[in-house]
Amino acid sequence: MSNSVISGARPAQVRVYSLLLVLSAIFMALLGWSAGAYYVPAMCLALLALLLWSGRGGAVFKWVLVANQVGGLVLILALWLGDRIGLGHAKLDVSGVALLLNLLCGGPLASVLGGLMLPGLRDGKRLFSWFNARPA
Amino acid sequence: MNNRVLSLPFLVACAAAGIASQASAASFTGKVTLPDGRPAFGAMLSVFNADHTRKQTVYTAADGTYAIVTPYSGSLALRARLANYDDASTSVDAAADAVGQADLQLKAFADAQAASDALSASAHNAVLAWGRAGDRHDFVSQCNYCHQMGNATTRAPRSHEAWMATITKMEGYLAMVTKSEKIRIASVFEKGFDGQPVKATHDYGATAELARAKVEEWQVGDGFSFIHDMDVASDGKFYGTDEGHDKLWVLDPATAKVEGLDLPPSGLPRGGLFSGMHLAIGVFTGSHGPHSMAQTSDGRIWITNALSSTLMSFDPATKQFKTYAVPGDAMYPHTVRVDKDDIVWFTIVASNQMGRFDPKTGQMTVMRLPSNGFFRWISDMLFPTLMRISSWFPDKVLLLNFSHHRFLGYTVMAFPYGIDVNPKDGSIWYAKLYANRIGRIDPKTMAVTEYETPMSGPRRPRFDADGIFWIPSFDEGGLMRFDPATGKFDAYTVPGVAPGEYETPYALNVYRPTGDIWMAANNSDRVIRFTPATRTFQSYPSPTRVTVLRDFSFTKDGRVCTSQSNLPAYAIEGGVPSYLCIDPAGGERDRAALAAAASGG
Repeated sequence: MSNSVISGARPAQVRVYSLLLVLSAIFMALLGWSAGAYYVPAMCLALLALLLWSGRGGAVFKWVLVANQVGGLVLILALWLGDRIGLGHAKLDVSGVALLLNLLCGGPLASVLGGLMLPGLRDGKRLFSWFNARPA
Repeated sequence: MNNRVLSLPFLVACAAAGIASQASAASFTGKVTLPDGRPAFGAMLSVFNADHTRKQTVYTAADGTYAIVTPYSGSLALRARLANYDDASTSVDAAADAVGQADLQLKAFADAQAASDALSASAHNAVLAWGRAGDRHDFVSQCNYCHQMGNATTRAPRSHEAWMATITKMEGYLAMVTKSEKIRIASVFEKGFDGQPVKATHDYGATAELARAKVEEWQVGDGFSFIHDMDVASDGKFYGTDEGHDKLWVLDPATAKVEGLDLPPSGLPRGGLFSGMHLAIGVFTGSHGPHSMAQTSDGRIWITNALSSTLMSFDPATKQFKTYAVPGDAMYPHTVRVDKDDIVWFTIVASNQMGRFDPKTGQMTVMRLPSNGFFRWISDMLFPTLMRISSWFPDKVLLLNFSHHRFLGYTVMAFPYGIDVNPKDGSIWYAKLYANRIGRIDPKTMAVTEYETPMSGPRRPRFDADGIFWIPSFDEGGLMRFDPATGKFDAYTVPGVAPGEYETPYALNVYRPTGDIWMAANNSDRVIRFTPATRTFQSYPSPTRVTVLRDFSFTKDGRVCTSQSNLPAYAIEGGVPSYLCIDPAGGERDRAALAAAASGG
């Protein structure tokens, strides 16, 4: 990847999502001033913005977003169905791990943006192409 | 200890006849005067028993006279106390069946510092200069519910850094302020609590009605107890939940015998489900956190265990406890009441839920209450999870690193708090402390209807016999009246003891035979009685400084009883919490009994 050269101008989609990721990172950092844990998703969002802007680390970018979505989904399902499926006291352990995973991978704003970006990371889609354009 | 120079000669005269109706009673009559010799009206004349674990108090009449019959004997201490004057005290060896004459003259304070030190917290926190009204409101809401701010323990001068550390500790006890608020509040404290004497003239409203009353106190527990609530049970005994020590303190007022009963182990670490908070430190050494009580017709007492999120029964006959799990992610079962069908209802504050338990079938139901907005919904969903994450790292208070209250404030929680049963239709009503709402639950359909309250901080409400809902407004020092039939509120402001001072009515109860409302006034060391018919407030100054009271209950003979519940208990004058009962006509009875004895009647 270090030898990769980005060919052509950045797609508008990349610029928009990069901007949104940066704004999200700033917002999370502001929250982090009050509640320190939010610095973690802030840093993750900043990293995602950097990766997207540079077109590097497409696999990392994708799997961070996937992990974020998985964490968020498990969190919702555990809180929603945990009692009904008999998780008992483990319910909050499951939701706790899921929440931490989600925050580690960018938090709720990354979940929203990830929901929009992940379809574009499929083979042949624009973001996929952006990350996988050329090796030189 | 509290012996001070007796300004007028003290005489103990053994009454030959004694008082037929008060066997083994040391009794006293006399007069309390001001430093200039005028009668002291509304002064508290307290008699302490020999080991200072109990005391009885009467209030002087307009002519300064008092009469008190006590069950004590031996080396007793007498103390006269009135706002704006220094105490007068003495001690006497009193034989049983003796009537003593004790005239006491109050003193002027030696200096401004002594006068300041004798003032209630309300005078000290009134000088705090709030730049923002919102900060003051949040200070009242978040700093005053566990303890007074401005008593001798909490007003010690500190640097900004030290105040920040103190508030951080309080956040570990679940005080919820934003980080920016925290910085500003620390600045206000640093400047306001500067150690300089505070000047105030307090008026506790001496009246002939006050002079009819009598107060009795029994010390219970220790300096690290946190006796949240005390209830009078059907057996006439007083039961108090020690949230700090996982104990039930039982007092038989007839014998003054106190028994401490340990709750069975919860299997949880110190602090229970809240072990990630600072709750495990200091006074919180248990894991159940027994909080509130109510009794079913079979005699069993039902206890909400706040920290272990369980419901517990206690059978006074067998002294056996039994624990019932509250299902789901219930966090902090709070106030409990029993309806006419012996169904146990309880609020669950931190997860915005209502619990319902049928002791006959053992069926426990937990229902979620309306969230009242997006951010409260987030809290309802995630707070238990955040508390679980915090519990993985005991005492580290990780919650503060995650919770959105750190940037949005405590109103992100709904906090269903007090609860009561409408005697008219059996419906269940609750107050949401932080969402400023009251709600009704139909006990058959479980349908919920909510109403916004005109004053903020509705805390522990009660119904009167006519089905009127009386609600204390903690944040605004008010009393609200709500008529469920019309849906109409009326609001009253609880008078302070001096201009510019506010009140923090935490809880109330209605004495249904008279309709009088008895409420806590925790900022100024008093109990307040509101009479709806005349819309008047009557103050009953507490004989004990640093009086913070929670639930009220009544004895069969009409005494209103409660527990001293300041955190920490060692900050209470005397260093130990106590049970306290006010007999609105007890002083009058003592006066009549001694007058009858003196006349040979």
